[in-house]
Amino acid sequence: MNLPKATRTVRLSNPEGLHLRAATVIAEVARRYRSKVALHKGSQRAEATEVLQIATLGAAQGEEVVLEASGDDAEAVLDTLVDLFHGGFGHEEDEK
Amino acid sequence: MQKLQGIAVSPGVAIGEALVMDNEGFRIPRRFVTRDAVDDELERLEAAVEAAGAEIAHNREAVARELGEKYGAIFEAHLQMLQDSRLRSELHEMIRERHYSPEYAVSRTLRRYAQVFQRLESSYLAERVYDIFDIEKRLLRHLLGRRREGLSHLSSPVLILAHNLTPSETANLDRKFVRGFATEMGGPGSHTAIVAEALEIPAVVGIGPFLAEVSGGDTVIIDGDEGVVVLQPDEETLARYRHEVEEKTTLAARLETLRDLPAVTADGVPVELFGNIEFPYEVEHCLDRGATGIGLYRTEFLYLGSATEPTEDVHYQAYSGVVRAMGDKPVIIRTFDLGADKVPHLRPPEDERNPFLGLRSIRLALRNLPMFRTQLRAILRASVLGKVRVMFPLISTLLELRQAKMVLADVMEDLDEKGVPFDRNLQIGMMVEVPAAVMMIDHFVKEVDFLSIGTNDLVQYTLAVDRSNRDVVSLYNSADPAVLKLLTWAIAAAEGAGKPINLCGQMSGNPIYTMLLLGLGLRRMSVTPSAIPEIKRVCRSVSIDQCRAAAERAMGMENARDIKSFLREEVMRNVPELGL
Repeated sequence: MNLPKATRTVRLSNPEGLHLRAATVIAEVARRYRSKVALHKGSQRAEATEVLQIATLGAAQGEEVVLEASGDDAEAVLDTLVDLFHGGFGHEEDEK
Repeated sequence: MQKLQGIAVSPGVAIGEALVMDNEGFRIPRRFVTRDAVDDELERLEAAVEAAGAEIAHNREAVARELGEKYGAIFEAHLQMLQDSRLRSELHEMIRERHYSPEYAVSRTLRRYAQVFQRLESSYLAERVYDIFDIEKRLLRHLLGRRREGLSHLSSPVLILAHNLTPSETANLDRKFVRGFATEMGGPGSHTAIVAEALEIPAVVGIGPFLAEVSGGDTVIIDGDEGVVVLQPDEETLARYRHEVEEKTTLAARLETLRDLPAVTADGVPVELFGNIEFPYEVEHCLDRGATGIGLYRTEFLYLGSATEPTEDVHYQAYSGVVRAMGDKPVIIRTFDLGADKVPHLRPPEDERNPFLGLRSIRLALRNLPMFRTQLRAILRASVLGKVRVMFPLISTLLELRQAKMVLADVMEDLDEKGVPFDRNLQIGMMVEVPAAVMMIDHFVKEVDFLSIGTNDLVQYTLAVDRSNRDVVSLYNSADPAVLKLLTWAIAAAEGAGKPINLCGQMSGNPIYTMLLLGLGLRRMSVTPSAIPEIKRVCRSVSIDQCRAAAERAMGMENARDIKSFLREEVMRNVPELGL
């Protein structure tokens, strides 16, 4: 079985970095696709469906994150995620 | 086995099961579970995760409904973190492979995550650590159920090991089952020390970080005589301490027979033995030991326990209970004696770099007259119920004493106008605890009805030693000849003026000093209730002549160490049964 794979590199543009709500949005999106998605920051790896893991990456503004997907919709899920990264994860947030 | 050295603040030895409290007053449970219990414990974890999840989901909906979807999002994040698959497998592994209890596994794992966040450079992300703590607390609450309530629901005897104990934690303490305290923080005079003394249980404070080394349920030893805490004691150490506990019990039983005998010296000179108390329930401890009065009723607990200023009625309830219980025996109530930093409802001091020399005690009371007057009104109202006396602490100048007396006279006038009854002849006294007060003692004795020497502060101010500072505490010594000279002057001046003088510091509760103090002419001592029988034993075993001779020799010596060892020998020779 040879699943399609896809990789993208994004640089975090929003000032808060990969914050909690962003992690939640990423996890929600990742769960809607069949592909398995992971985020890498340096040697650290996080499952894209797991909020705690994503948040623990501690990716800050200006840092690079590598997205990897494997599955029949690998390209599609990464396209959506990259859009999210570029859009700063929706509106600026003011939680709490 | 691990021996830890701290500061001994309440005497005695306790051996028993540890109850470990974390920084937030949560009880940290046993660290390990048995092999057979692993499946049940895993189930308990799952139930707690599920319950915590349901609670978060409920919060999310409630908040989203009230404030909008955006605000509910944080709870969604919490929910997803809680359900993180790696977190779950880590917890399972700890319970299954290492036999950790679910509580311990949760605490450990989430604190590790918290550390990761704390190390992040982005301050925004580092703030997320509070979300992790929130999840930890939520899970622990579900795991522990009612057991989380720390010190108020105990079912068996325990020794409390904690970072620090706050007034609110000790306020609801289940007194029946607490057998000792050991804390990482704190010094003599700390809240833990006062509560331990009141409960008459051993306590060691200022140990430094050690809670990571011990687990709830472990057997520990708290040696409040030497300031030592023993973790994982070996058999030999346990046996030695058990023997010590037994001997103390035997001695206490023998001393109990002294209860109804008067404190008179072998040659028939009567000595008044009063008790020091902080909490109203300690009156029982005093009466049980045959105290002939309360020589020092500290009122600080009234200010520490709650976030708001105590009302006149709160004061009155406390005082009237004590005064009624003591009947016709005197009760000396000391007015407010705290620094602003300790009182929740006062503005924190801005420029207090040196609290012991700062705005505290009577100085603070005179700057907060409404608060001071409230206390004085309650004392005056209670004065009709028995033999009440009022005492002002930390008096350093005559002006200060006169100011305090004026406020009291003013409150009396108020009560008179309102037709509230009080004792018009209420005796007024002062604490002698600042060297300046001793220098001016000839003047002071004319303006008060009685005096009481507070050696704890007097020693500290005379020798310029902060006794809660570990680096200099060895310089703190009640037997220092400079201190003894001050005592001699104060006692002689009071005697000359015909005013009773009392000694209510820790020095009077230590039998080593009893002969010296009697020899210097002191005839009234106020001690922690548990020390009354020992001190009475010494009084009854010696004559005033012997005491005078001992005092004279001690006063001729040059340093505290010689004086102390001489006095110890003297008392050993005369009262060998104390085993000092």
